[in-house]
Amino acid sequence: MSMLAIGLLFAGVTLLFMMSGAPIAFALGAVAVVFMAFFMPAASLDTITQNVYEEMASITLLSIPLFILKGAAIGRSRAGQDLYAALHAWMSRVPGGLGIANVFACALFAAMAGSSPATCSAIGSAGIPEMRKRGYSPGFAAGIIAAGGTLGILLPPSITMILYAVAAEQSLGRLFLAGIGPGLLLVGLFAAYAVVRYRREHRNAIAAHASHGTASAMLDVDTFTLRQKVEMLPRVLPFVILLIGVMVALYGGFATPSETAGLGALLALVLIAVVYGVWRVKDVAPILSATLKESTMLMFIIGMSLLFSYVMSYLHISQSMAQWIVALQLSKWLLLAAILLLVVILGFFLPPVSIILMTAPIILPPLKTAGFDLIWFGVLMTIVMEAGLIHPPVGLNLFVIKNIAPDITLGQIIRGVLPFVVLMFVAVVLICLLPGIATALPDAVMGAVPGAR
Amino acid sequence: MSDPGGDLPHGLGADAALLAGGASLLPESARAGARSGIDPATPRALMPLARALALANRVMVGFGMLALLAASLVLTSSVVTRYLFKSSTDWQDETAVFLLVGATFLCGAFVQSIRGHVGIEAVSTLLSRRADAIRRIAVDLLCLAFCALFAWKSWTLLHEAWVDKQTTSSSWAPPLWIPYLLMSLGMTLLALQLVVHLAASVNRARAVAAGER
Repeated sequence: MSMLAIGLLFAGVTLLFMMSGAPIAFALGAVAVVFMAFFMPAASLDTITQNVYEEMASITLLSIPLFILKGAAIGRSRAGQDLYAALHAWMSRVPGGLGIANVFACALFAAMAGSSPATCSAIGSAGIPEMRKRGYSPGFAAGIIAAGGTLGILLPPSITMILYAVAAEQSLGRLFLAGIGPGLLLVGLFAAYAVVRYRREHRNAIAAHASHGTASAMLDVDTFTLRQKVEMLPRVLPFVILLIGVMVALYGGFATPSETAGLGALLALVLIAVVYGVWRVKDVAPILSATLKESTMLMFIIGMSLLFSYVMSYLHISQSMAQWIVALQLSKWLLLAAILLLVVILGFFLPPVSIILMTAPIILPPLKTAGFDLIWFGVLMTIVMEAGLIHPPVGLNLFVIKNIAPDITLGQIIRGVLPFVVLMFVAVVLICLLPGIATALPDAVMGAVPGAR
Repeated sequence: MSDPGGDLPHGLGADAALLAGGASLLPESARAGARSGIDPATPRALMPLARALALANRVMVGFGMLALLAASLVLTSSVVTRYLFKSSTDWQDETAVFLLVGATFLCGAFVQSIRGHVGIEAVSTLLSRRADAIRRIAVDLLCLAFCALFAWKSWTLLHEAWVDKQTTSSSWAPPLWIPYLLMSLGMTLLALQLVVHLAASVNRARAVAAGER
């Protein structure tokens, strides 16, 4: 059978099994096994389990459950509300400060918890009602939270980035650092948009007040005394210290990324026990079982995706496709645009985890040949997948918002979110034009990689 | 039917929950399902097996919880000992790997019991109820075939590792039968859980067919 025929058959069977509605993990595993049975030596079926075990038994991959545990511990405590309340008090003087406070709270929480949906529900459950009480339009309030939540997979520790680092064989520490600059860029863009939009809504509220005397809540001014502001701090500080401490442990050379995961999870559990009194078995067990549910599902998909990629590479499908892409002789930037478009389209159907593991062997060699820095590309790919979390038709964060604010219609949420999707693509373009946004920090902290670009 | 993901758009939204933290988004019904873990459409003949699995899954989740905590402690101790005694040791990473691989495989059946392994279920809304019931049988059959094969090959791998006294390639060199045993046990439970789910799906398809007649 020709290479092309095998490739098409492989793609067809994959599509059929995935679209059948079978769990992604088992669908990928079944595709791998079927092709092993028909196209590979008989003995290869005997080694599938060893294959999966050896791929999975990597401490970098297995730090994922611990990062999830850290996120679940913080996500289930009141840390989100406290963080939000403190930022609100401190930002109350700035016009549009409430919106900015929400963006900042999302970013900080995302960096601590490392999870988009958890960030949306933790900050949004306090932030959305507060913003609406202050007269923000429902779509705007929802958009801020949905977009802010996505910062979770860009700021370290990001599970998506762990997988990318493994798939692309890049340094995880470097990739984490590379996400910080773009993460801050997005925070800045989101906050700037929040101010602009606030001003417009504020002007409209004044105009409405002048014409028919209905005073919008937006016109109320609330003030916090310094005492109130200072009193907010003690509950927030421990978590900020956790965030900084974990970063110092990682980049000060005290701990490997996986040790950081263990340390972070343990510290998060200790903190919620001390600060919020969450230490009884009945309080901690739900955190642990939610973590297990999430991480088991994820690790099964990862293990089976790796088996799937192994078969794809054994049959030379990935190499042939990569060579075919290289042979197209696309210009450098056209190639990048085409690949990012592919990621966007796959984002409609697949979780980031599967996108990375299934496409890495195909898209990374051509990108490398074209002379792109793979760390830099990892950041771009992450932002694009992040946009997939909030763009219709299937952005998860949209539905998280719908859950916490059921009276905002999905249409309003989507309209509120779209400007943020545009901002994300603006960020992608900026990072293409100025790669230093992503690469400067890792180069400064860890030294430049000779010959990386 | 307890579908994890609930009113999220099926499959697709729930897939993205992979980014972590999504578990807290489960609707009440799915949480109730998580407590009992028994599909109400399970045929009576298989009820004892379903109940035994529900019990086994609870025990495995208990092990999984302890493994998570233990792995965090082990990795933390690794940082602390390196800092205090300036000595690098290799047992911590491997111990954490064994604990976390074990937790993953042992809890596979639990996650299946609440149908928590996400898939792209967009197609199901396009099909008639009857066609969808048949699709579910086909899907469960496919998963069962794969998991049963995987479970069988895990046991043969375990046997080989035991007979040849295989160890990992590190200097600490712990025996490989430990993680292989956990993998075999977990995949076997998962295959059994799929047998129960397949039977329940067949039962439900029968009920749909009877309802249409």
